[in-house]
Amino acid sequence: MSKELIRLRDCVMSYGDELVLDHINLYINDKEFLTLLGPSGCGKTTTLRMIGGFLSPTSGDVLFDGVRINHVPPHQRAVNTVFQRYALFPHLNVFENVAFGLRIPKADAGGRKVKLPEREIQERVMEMLSVVNLKGFEKRPVSALSGGQQQRVAIARALVNRPRVLLLDEPLGALDMRLRKDMQNELKRIQQEMEITFIYVTHDQEEALAMSDTVVVMDGGRIQQIGTPEDIYNEPKNAFVADFIGESNIIDGIMRADGVVEIFNRKFQCLDKGFDKDEPVDVVIRPEDVDIVDEAAGQLKGTVTSVTFKGVHYDTIVDFYGFKWLIQTTDFCPVDSRIGIKIDPDGIHVMKKSAYSGMFGDYSSYSEEYEELDVVEDESQEGEGDDPWEDGYEE
Amino acid sequence: MRQSNRIGGRIFIGLTFLFLYLPIFLLIIFSFNAGESSAVWQGFSLDWYAALFRNRLIMESLYTTLLVSLLATVVATAAGTFAAIGLYALSKRKRDALLVVNDIPMMNADIVTGVSLCLFFVAFFQGWGAFARWFNGVQGVVALPERLVLGFTTMLLAHIAFDIPYVILNVAPKLRQMDRNLVDAAQDLGCTWMQAFWRVILPEIKPGIVSGALIAFTMSIDDFVISYFTAGSSTSTLAMRIYSMTKKRITPEVNAVSTLLFLSVLALLVLNNVREIRQERRAASLEPRAPTLLEKLSMKFNQPAYRWVRRGLAGAMACAFLVVVVLLTGATGSQPVVNVCSWGEYIDESLIEQFEDETGIRVNYQTAESNEALYSLLKSGGADYDVIVPSDYMISQLLEEGMLEELDYSRIPNFELIDRRFRNLPYDPENKYTVPYTWGTLGLIYNANMVEEEPVSWGALYDDQYAGDVLLINNSRDALAAALLHLGYSVNTTDEEEIREAFALIADASRRGVFQGKVMDQVFQKMEGGNAALAAYYAGDYLSMLDNQADGVDLRYVIPEEGANWFVDAMCVLKDTPHYDEALEWINFIASTDANLANMDYIWYASPNTEALERYPAYYEELYGEELDPELYEIMAAPPEVLERCEMYSVLPPETRALYNELWIRLGA
Amino acid sequence: MRNKRGWFAVPYVVWMALFVVIPILIMAVYAVTTADPATGELQLTGANFTGMGVYLNVFLRSFWLAVVATLVCLLIGYPVSYWMAKEGPRFQRLAMALIMLPMWMNFLLRTYSWMSILENNGLLNQLFRAIGLLDLLGVDYLHMIGTPGAVVLGMVYNYLPFMILPIYSVIVKLDGSLIEAARDLGADGVRVFRRVIFPLSLPGILSGVTMVFVPSVSTFAISSLLGGGKQTMLGDLIELQFLGGAYNPHLGAAISMVMMVIVVVCMVVMNHFGEGEEQAVML
Repeated sequence: MSKELIRLRDCVMSYGDELVLDHINLYINDKEFLTLLGPSGCGKTTTLRMIGGFLSPTSGDVLFDGVRINHVPPHQRAVNTVFQRYALFPHLNVFENVAFGLRIPKADAGGRKVKLPEREIQERVMEMLSVVNLKGFEKRPVSALSGGQQQRVAIARALVNRPRVLLLDEPLGALDMRLRKDMQNELKRIQQEMEITFIYVTHDQEEALAMSDTVVVMDGGRIQQIGTPEDIYNEPKNAFVADFIGESNIIDGIMRADGVVEIFNRKFQCLDKGFDKDEPVDVVIRPEDVDIVDEAAGQLKGTVTSVTFKGVHYDTIVDFYGFKWLIQTTDFCPVDSRIGIKIDPDGIHVMKKSAYSGMFGDYSSYSEEYEELDVVEDESQEGEGDDPWEDGYEE
Repeated sequence: MRQSNRIGGRIFIGLTFLFLYLPIFLLIIFSFNAGESSAVWQGFSLDWYAALFRNRLIMESLYTTLLVSLLATVVATAAGTFAAIGLYALSKRKRDALLVVNDIPMMNADIVTGVSLCLFFVAFFQGWGAFARWFNGVQGVVALPERLVLGFTTMLLAHIAFDIPYVILNVAPKLRQMDRNLVDAAQDLGCTWMQAFWRVILPEIKPGIVSGALIAFTMSIDDFVISYFTAGSSTSTLAMRIYSMTKKRITPEVNAVSTLLFLSVLALLVLNNVREIRQERRAASLEPRAPTLLEKLSMKFNQPAYRWVRRGLAGAMACAFLVVVVLLTGATGSQPVVNVCSWGEYIDESLIEQFEDETGIRVNYQTAESNEALYSLLKSGGADYDVIVPSDYMISQLLEEGMLEELDYSRIPNFELIDRRFRNLPYDPENKYTVPYTWGTLGLIYNANMVEEEPVSWGALYDDQYAGDVLLINNSRDALAAALLHLGYSVNTTDEEEIREAFALIADASRRGVFQGKVMDQVFQKMEGGNAALAAYYAGDYLSMLDNQADGVDLRYVIPEEGANWFVDAMCVLKDTPHYDEALEWINFIASTDANLANMDYIWYASPNTEALERYPAYYEELYGEELDPELYEIMAAPPEVLERCEMYSVLPPETRALYNELWIRLGA
Repeated sequence: MRNKRGWFAVPYVVWMALFVVIPILIMAVYAVTTADPATGELQLTGANFTGMGVYLNVFLRSFWLAVVATLVCLLIGYPVSYWMAKEGPRFQRLAMALIMLPMWMNFLLRTYSWMSILENNGLLNQLFRAIGLLDLLGVDYLHMIGTPGAVVLGMVYNYLPFMILPIYSVIVKLDGSLIEAARDLGADGVRVFRRVIFPLSLPGILSGVTMVFVPSVSTFAISSLLGGGKQTMLGDLIELQFLGGAYNPHLGAAISMVMMVIVVVCMVVMNHFGEGEEQAVML
């Protein structure tokens, strides 16, 4: 990767007693697509707003190109933002929305305020509208656009100013599933075409994995893990990350030796090393890494309690000694049947115990709505802000 | 809905509108009446509109109304908008607490707001006076005014105070609806906060600001109560002017000015409605269509290249507004002024203009309702009069309290023309403070067509046979005087028993429903229109009524056998007036024979000027080409034998005054 | 950015303190003191309040007339709002404009105009005479002016728009699907109104009631014009203490305080039931 562009050094953000960001250290490279991923209230939006200039950290530094910019106001930063729900100006049409930033007089080298010539504005706006495939929409009022089109206007409006960094605050949150998929590709394409840094905030792990060069998983105002999407998925640092990224069965285990972990009093081969002997650990087993075999041949034996057809596979819930696992398999096992399972050594990931141990990875209360519930909860949280001035900075 | 229901609904709505608009139509119709009545149609004419533009009092109050409403709206809209933005930057708890305070002026009854502001200003003025005296005492560089009074500024402050909450109430929801990211987005795109405010926030909340400003303006225009308590004596809004007129007789000029105001608002509303309907149609038919000329112009105008035109226009308008304000306030500020307070329709208004032309002193002419009301005004600190015209007993009271200034008679040469009879009267035994203005009697006015037999006694006022047709004079001194005389007591008695007995006589009659109402100057309109049969009132006013009495009304005047009150109203100057010289000039001018003749002819009160009194019959003949009825002349200027039967009021001791007040208020309770 | 804009509110807070809070405090000080007639010094006293019993009748009359006027306004205003909301948008806009319009003609003038209608020899009596109604009843005129009825009429006339506007603005925003749902569930027209429309328009009614009641209970011009000065009301009583014949600002302040407290209590009770004030004034 290329050189470092932005660095957050020991950034703390607190409102009174409430600690929103807890000593964040992070660097972002030029032309990188970095995603801040985490649940509501994890501090990802606060981090983004700090970079955008809407907030200053309570302590710590924000560096841009090596220069401290803690108190540089947003309009003087080479950073532009695509806001949640777009924040398009309702009183302006598409063209004027995109042209908004260009029409603000900028100080030139001599400190005099100069305005861009109208022709240049015209050219740059039209060029940008063609990048986002919105040619021919210039005169439309923004209220007459679909969600996806508004999204493109918001992106064009930010990019037309040629920022070094584009900040995107859950830009796809308000779109339906299919549009979201399309826009993911579109965003990736635009990022590569424009060759600028994208900092992307989302709570959708799939989105994060699909688009990013680097993913930063956050929770409770702390960075839980930084890494490539593969790292994050395959080598989660703790139970929170394991659970938040994809589905995981997280089981208490004891490290008996390098490459040997004991679960349910049975020893399993694994690839992890470097733990103390007999150290209690969290063991992550991804649902797709479990093979269902005959009961007799299984390393563990259990009873199927629920089966849901998911298209490509079945979500099968299996009760092992009172602990319920999710197994994703193409084989159909009827409810109440006894089965055995096998897990390859590379399907087992061992993590140090953390504050999150015991909170995740049990599917006892599994229901089909699980995922949907999550989404609905999120939306209701956003929706309850009848008064957008009302609640804090952090959704 | 069912058809019948709908028609029923429309009829109901129609009837409601009829109810709402009937009085308004009447007002409009009678503004075109050739006569002065507001009940009898005497033919079409535009005279009242012509008269309106000549009527300085009404035009001044109209100007005051518009100016105070405009200024208050502009200030309140700007302040309210910024306050709303500030409020939304506060935490919810603080904001909610402030919004409760914000609600107070809207929830509170107007009268409570008015009273509290009035007390506040007066208290502030007292504090300021003490401070200014001390400050002027310790240094001589800057001289602070020591005496502040209620006036335009205080009224403007009050208007702003009650307008701001309405602006906030209208702007706040727009701010709340606004995506808060919009401001961030604008800043993100390179705006400073101020630029974001002009380019994003303002256009977004504009509908709220506009409706807030409109409501504020409407509230200001429509307000009467708060202005009434905070404007003091020297400033009058149209509403206050009308209120003081309702006490007597509303001149059709007021109908005319209201009609004009009403029609201009109506025109605005219609225009706006038409525009909205057009826009709706346009929105409904999405098909593209060629822009009209106006739209082309406005499009062109909106192009950035034409921004300087827009800026220039806006700037020019702002400048023009400022210039107008400065000119108008400045023009009135530099001229010498005298503030005169008298009674309603108690002067020939052409005298005011004549005086102004001759001396260059501007006369600020105000009226009070009664001696007692004048006293309240003076005491409450709301008045900044220089010359007042109280009656005899009130002069004594004011003198007792040291509120009058001695006059420099060397500068009132016309005082020599005052008849000896009216000098050195008990209220001013050495005649150091007063110059008599008029004199007259309090008698019984009746409509001969509404009474069986000619009343000769005050007792008629309490007689059941006239139940519902008697008007009680709304002034404790005069009302009790009639009762005291009827019972055979002195009008100046301090005997509590006698006073209570007299009061009981009135209260008893009131309980039996004898009185139609308690009135002061409304007596004109009621008696002239034949709406009441009997009233105790002043001789001069009786003569005015004669001039205006409707068909089928036959008004007569009698000094009852028990005797009556005779009074002198005299001009006095209030202590510490800043316009002492102008006040003396005014008094001297009014005391002249010509002014007295003009006044006598206009208000029908007898003059204390010997020459004028003697010459009046001849003056009348010359003016109208007919002889003055000697009987009328005797009513106006009661001959000595009648005056002998009459008693003048003397000032009552404070306990008795308190008793009067208490009993009087209880009468209404 | 919002913390930084908090100071925008500072001038406003100062202003409100100066012109809203302090005046009321001064009024409270006046209410609990009396001026020594000789020296003019203020002395603490409760006499202003205890002596108010004399005016019990005035209080009762004011409240009684205001309640009647409010009820009449409601009885006229609700159907008008309801039927208006059912009409087309153009009719509605026109009707709204027509309701607001009279506010631009001074209320004193409009009230005065009623005087010439209601007088013993006024237009209405002339009309009755012309159609022979008076002869039929065997009287010279119908006595209307100077009665409590005339005062109530004046209040209804002046404050009716304040009742219609809030109720209308609530009804017109009612979700049509609610009514359809109610019908779907088997409610007939009367039930739909009683069980759905009326309860949902309650906030409008409440704010309308307060907006009519408060000015009614405190009016002083209307009662002196149409009540012939005989129907003394709280407003008259207060005015009398300040600018009228009986100069006693301390008593006037005390009465104002009592009135304010009563109004606030009414308001709190009302707000307890629903919040519509804001919508109503926002129109």
